[in-house]
Amino acid sequence: MNAAALPVDYPSSPAPAGRRIPGNKGMWVGITCEFVEFLVLFITYFVARSHFPESFEQGADRLSRISGTVITLLMVTSSFFIACSVATMRAGQRQRSIYWLIAGLIVALGYPVAKYLEINWNLAHGINGESGIFFTVYYYLTFNHLVHATWGILGMLWVLVRHLSGGYTVEDHDGLEALASYWHATDIIWLVIFPFFYVLA
Amino acid sequence: MKASDSTPTTSLLPLTTAWLALVALTLISLGLGQWFHGAPWLPLLVAAIVWIKGTLVAREFIESRLTHPFISRVLTGFIAFTPIALVLTAFFGGQFARWATL
Repeated sequence: MNAAALPVDYPSSPAPAGRRIPGNKGMWVGITCEFVEFLVLFITYFVARSHFPESFEQGADRLSRISGTVITLLMVTSSFFIACSVATMRAGQRQRSIYWLIAGLIVALGYPVAKYLEINWNLAHGINGESGIFFTVYYYLTFNHLVHATWGILGMLWVLVRHLSGGYTVEDHDGLEALASYWHATDIIWLVIFPFFYVLA
Repeated sequence: MKASDSTPTTSLLPLTTAWLALVALTLISLGLGQWFHGAPWLPLLVAAIVWIKGTLVAREFIESRLTHPFISRVLTGFIAFTPIALVLTAFFGGQFARWATL
């Protein structure tokens, strides 16, 4: 392929209504792959649930619903703060955008802490990866999500460093918006996982 | 079409409203699992809540109504998958298990 065949995207070029790519194309390739990966895991969940309905009906009662709810509230709140960071950057309020991003990062860091406490609680109650099919699927799906969330938290740190050093402007803050898109997608995935293990019984 | 419908938002009001709705739906979900433990229609209600929450994040935080159709379709498809699967497995779980048996 020669250079003439490659469309060049200028960060500040306005996209027609209904054609926006929040952040950049590369991030949306990654998010699409992330969705496909979790769809496969969700299918695994439904296959296991349909084969062992009793295990899944009883399993949710043994988990800490408070932990699942706290993680959900941390995810939606962090996602909200990051969305506010993007909105204030668009409005030209750079300092406020940085504060919102820091708030989003701090709340997001609560997720691995809450997960650590939840795992300790599980182990104290005799729940590990070999406690039955429900718990095997639970650990596999939730750990996988934690790995994806960790990438997002590392991304927030990088975007924060760029933001503090003046890397984003009103016209060009694609990096911030790409990070926001990834974090919102990771939030959507958790909103699906939450009822799987903490609500449905 | 209003200008706010065709341009990315700079207002925090729609974001705050969506966040409050997400928090409320999360707390309602927690109560559902405890109050209606084992109810046969619980998966239907949970499916509806999952769809509403996912759609709220996509519409208000990602602003999917303004995005490229591919992104919009990916989000719509991903968010719809689990509610549909929840409803189908709630009513046809045994049949699905037979299909999924090696």
